[in-house]
Amino acid sequence: MATEPRITLRGVDVEFSVDAEKHRSLKSAAAGLLRPRRTVPRTIRALRGVSLDIRAGERVGLVGPNGAGKSTLLKVMARIYPPVRGEVEVGGRVCPLFEFVTGFEMECSGRDNIRTRTLLLGMSPREVERKLEEIGEFTGLGEFLDFPVRCYSSGMLLRLAFAASTAVEPEILLLDEVMAAGDAEFIERARARINGVMERASIVVFASHSLTTLPEFCERTIWIDRGRVAADGPTREVVRAYEASVGKGAGHAAAVAG
Amino acid sequence: MYRVVEDVTQAARAWPIWWRLGLQDVRTGFRRSTLGVGWIFVNFAVTILAVGFVYGALLGQPVREFLPFLAAGLVVWLYLTSSIVEGSSAFVASEGYIKQIGVAPYVYVFRFFVSITFKMLTSLAAFAVVALLLGVEFGWGVAWALPGVLLLCAVSLLLISIFAHLNARFRDAAHVASLGLQILFYVTPVLWPPELLRSRSLGWVVDLNPLYHLLEVVRQPLLHSRPAAALNYQAVGLLIVGLTICASALTWRFHRRLAYLL
Repeated sequence: MATEPRITLRGVDVEFSVDAEKHRSLKSAAAGLLRPRRTVPRTIRALRGVSLDIRAGERVGLVGPNGAGKSTLLKVMARIYPPVRGEVEVGGRVCPLFEFVTGFEMECSGRDNIRTRTLLLGMSPREVERKLEEIGEFTGLGEFLDFPVRCYSSGMLLRLAFAASTAVEPEILLLDEVMAAGDAEFIERARARINGVMERASIVVFASHSLTTLPEFCERTIWIDRGRVAADGPTREVVRAYEASVGKGAGHAAAVAG
Repeated sequence: MYRVVEDVTQAARAWPIWWRLGLQDVRTGFRRSTLGVGWIFVNFAVTILAVGFVYGALLGQPVREFLPFLAAGLVVWLYLTSSIVEGSSAFVASEGYIKQIGVAPYVYVFRFFVSITFKMLTSLAAFAVVALLLGVEFGWGVAWALPGVLLLCAVSLLLISIFAHLNARFRDAAHVASLGLQILFYVTPVLWPPELLRSRSLGWVVDLNPLYHLLEVVRQPLLHSRPAAALNYQAVGLLIVGLTICASALTWRFHRRLAYLL
């Protein structure tokens, strides 16, 4: 990639249709033609007019209550959700680390799943084979790597996915509230590894409820509230403002920092 | 239009992914059986023998000619059926990836294309065995099967794309389609030779059926080592143009919204 990694969003709107299920089948679509119902389709505006610019070298935190749009914003940056309106420009190799426990081939061995995932994340086949041992080692799964992953516990799946996903050397790393499961020993190693990847990546965007760890990682933080950018600036100031708003009970009181 | 081309070529360039995933799908389909991929072969051979003897007798066809005819026809038909039935889950089954990793989703269309085509080639090998055992004579003209099979593959890829998109939007699209296929099966000359209808001046039933022409471009070279009629190739060409328009329209309409639809 010749250009410098960067993320640019201009007036990005993302909407989810609540009633997308209304015509989930041709049958009901045909019935709808015969007997039209005049209902306004309900939509959730997950992001409204979000504009931001993240340049190479930046570490950015995302804070906000549950359902504010942090995950959606990350998925827009990962080119998973194209915006309804507005422009998105993302330059560079992106590695998204979202929920870990989806996207396995249940009948395939752990090793095969590592291959699949790393390929999907943009590794070349040669790179995959070279790193396979190292990734397998990091999972600590030993002989289980040759077992089909349908025999794995959720903790083991997490280890596998985490090890594979973090083995990619991304230019842009997108993290969404990771490390919820896994045992203490693994969490410790995982933290060290994430730190390593974060150091090597050019851009890191990191959604978290942990207001204490944010300042360690990011100098800049964006506060998302109900799909809008509520504040964007130095982490300490934004976190202070966010804490104050949560403390006052304004907005969503449920969003207590974890 | 440019957008559609971009979506497809971007995914095509990621060939190591879909190539691997596709072959892996073939293997996992048979992982827990001793025969493995050989099952496709056995399955196909048994079907041909069973159907062949019954229908051969029913239609008063000599077994030596009828079995290879049936085998070649079934290779094509089963390929089309699985392109629609299996191919329709290309996106739905890949939901976990599509919502987690921003890879061009056409990757999953190609993935299914690889596994479905692999199975077709295996059944083609089964045809060859049947044909050799029954003493079908092959000449150089059998090479015409190559363009025939390539045209068939193009149709399959387009069908997978069409039904993968449709099924992401309307989850019963595959059911509706397989119902349609069942009806088509009876009016398409797979089990019965087209000459039977022609001799009763019902030739138009087959001539207006694009699937008949598709069958011919594969079947004629395989059975008689000669190219199909020019009309057959023209009809298949027309079919491919039509399907391409459908697939492009659906891609244009739904492709970028897949993550929202799943």
